[in-house]
Amino acid sequence: MSALRSSSRDKSIEVANARLAGILVLPTWLIIITVFALPILGALYLSFRNETLGTFVPARFIGFENYLQALVDPRFWESIWVTLILMVLAIIVQIPLGIGLAVLLHRNLAGTQFFRTVLIIPMLLTPVAVGLMWRFLFDADLGVINWALDQINVHGPNWLGWRWPAIMAVTIVDSWQSIPFVMLIALAGLTGLPKGPREAAAIDGARASQIFFHITLPSLLPIVLVIAMIRIIDCLKMFDLIFILTGKGGPGTATQTLGMLTYNTGFIFFQTSRAAALGVLMVILVAPIYVMWRRATEYAR
Amino acid sequence: MPIAKKLLPAAVLLASMTTLSYADDLNLFLSPSPSSTAIQSFIPAFEKATGHTVHVTEVPYGEMHQKLMLSVQLKQGQYDIAQFDNSFLTPFGAAGTMLPLDDKIAASKEYDISDFSKGQQDYGKYKGQTLGLTLSTEPFIQWYRTDIYDALGLKPAKTWDEFKANAKAVKDSGKGDGFIFGYGPNVSWWWMAMVWSFGGHLYDDNYNPTVNSPEAVAATQFLKDLLPYAPEGALSASSDDATIKFLSTDIGAMVQYSGYWGMLLDPANQKHLGKIGTAPMPKGAADVVHLAGWNIGIPADAKNPEVAWQFLEFVLGKSNAKNYLNAGAAAIGRKSIITDPELIAKYPYLPVLDIAEGTRIERYPQIRVWPEFEKAALDALAGIMNGSVEVKAGLDALEETEKPILAQENAK
Repeated sequence: MSALRSSSRDKSIEVANARLAGILVLPTWLIIITVFALPILGALYLSFRNETLGTFVPARFIGFENYLQALVDPRFWESIWVTLILMVLAIIVQIPLGIGLAVLLHRNLAGTQFFRTVLIIPMLLTPVAVGLMWRFLFDADLGVINWALDQINVHGPNWLGWRWPAIMAVTIVDSWQSIPFVMLIALAGLTGLPKGPREAAAIDGARASQIFFHITLPSLLPIVLVIAMIRIIDCLKMFDLIFILTGKGGPGTATQTLGMLTYNTGFIFFQTSRAAALGVLMVILVAPIYVMWRRATEYAR
Repeated sequence: MPIAKKLLPAAVLLASMTTLSYADDLNLFLSPSPSSTAIQSFIPAFEKATGHTVHVTEVPYGEMHQKLMLSVQLKQGQYDIAQFDNSFLTPFGAAGTMLPLDDKIAASKEYDISDFSKGQQDYGKYKGQTLGLTLSTEPFIQWYRTDIYDALGLKPAKTWDEFKANAKAVKDSGKGDGFIFGYGPNVSWWWMAMVWSFGGHLYDDNYNPTVNSPEAVAATQFLKDLLPYAPEGALSASSDDATIKFLSTDIGAMVQYSGYWGMLLDPANQKHLGKIGTAPMPKGAADVVHLAGWNIGIPADAKNPEVAWQFLEFVLGKSNAKNYLNAGAAAIGRKSIITDPELIAKYPYLPVLDIAEGTRIERYPQIRVWPEFEKAALDALAGIMNGSVEVKAGLDALEETEKPILAQENAK
């Protein structure tokens, strides 16, 4: 009898605890719903209408017309292509360089503390300030970069006036600012790795490069995948740097990412419903990347 | 008596006084600019004279028009006066964002609309209604380095061919680059002015694009052919970049809005104080003036439209026009201002704001979809100007791109 009473008392305590937990978590859910879910649902609703900021024509439901219009718009596909190019370049440049710097710093050579401090400075600057600064650096007539290239008899391009130099310029600036982040995360990963396997390999006669490629790097793989995912997401939402550096995606549409196209559509063309549809398409395109990352992470484990 | 009960009457009285005073407050929506700075300099005098309190919200150019349209759409009554760029006049007109001011203008001796030439009287009109007063008169004018031109025996160009010849002469002399335009994110401004000047149009009366007409092709080719005489960075230069380079390096001439004169007067901005002259924009086949500048008006949901008009008369009326200019604003093209000898001595560019009767005045295209039309043009011109696309092929492609964009103008 007392066991039964004890069991039912435990159950009611459990229920009370669950209720209390629900109440305590409720404010968080309200914030999540208000800040995330409601705007997303609002954007979804907007994407099926023909609303504009200036109410040029009476707003009405138009079904999938905005989506179809986007899918046949060459600007949409070009913006995806630009986004992919910037993303791939970012991964190719930033991850090896970031890991390389982390490996160097991990060795605790002379000056490590100084270089660690200096190397994270770019990360601390706001993208707008960074964009403005580099816009001057890349100036074809007055910029330091072309001046420096002139000193070694190399004629620098008009970085912001041509398609591929502009893409390179964005990649250089984004890498300058993001490599410190990659370095810090990789350094934290390296610090957390057990020394045992590497020491054992060294005793067995393995070279440093063999240890790095066959033991260290595979152990770092989960962290590298996290870094890659964060960088991919950052590239997908890169906006302020491009806005300032290349003048909203210029020259022409050379650096107009999907995010910039969405901004231009909504805030410059006043086509809010079309912009909402572009936003929804962006989410749909990002989802498979997230799924691939989850699978890769599980595989790495 | 408890303290709360003692304080209650005072609280009610304060609340009612506050409500009363806020009811007569004026809220200004401005964009950081010399015009905004000048307007704000008159606020203390207005407040003293009328007893109304004036509050100012300054919003950067990139967001201001969207913010204002949203505010009026939501009928928030946040602003009583709003500054806006003339290029947004048509979207604002189509959306009913601003109140018509014609009755107030007609009745106002202080504003005195007859002090403006006919072309400038229509500057703020949308479908026959004045939605914005002229806040600045900024035509495209020719700026040139008097020292470089004098040394080479050159005169300001009257035609585009002369402009090109001058640019070549300066470049060949080694005294600097021949000229500069902003061939980057603002190249559409120079391109459309050139198309108009060559006798072309961007679209016809039925909103069919005409960007690949023979005149437009010739204008675009001319614009591209000028590039070798410009600094290399001109290809990616914005309007501000072009002006900064003209003011700080050796460049023979530029065509730019007269409103940049304020930058010129600041020694911190430029190295050539006293060595810059102004002249009208060169002519092509057509006698055209491209006119730009700010407008200012009363939003449709303004809470205090009468007080707002009082403020506009106070600041922009004829009797205050000199003070307004001397407060650092870009000039408004009143006849009384641009012919005043004292002001001309101080601001030598004023006479070029005198637009002759019969001159074709082209404002920013008065179409609701101008931002999207312009972006499509900018995208096409980038490839044309850097040579990756031929002029005719690029404009033919642009013609096709603009068709569905302009079709929205006829949408009901």
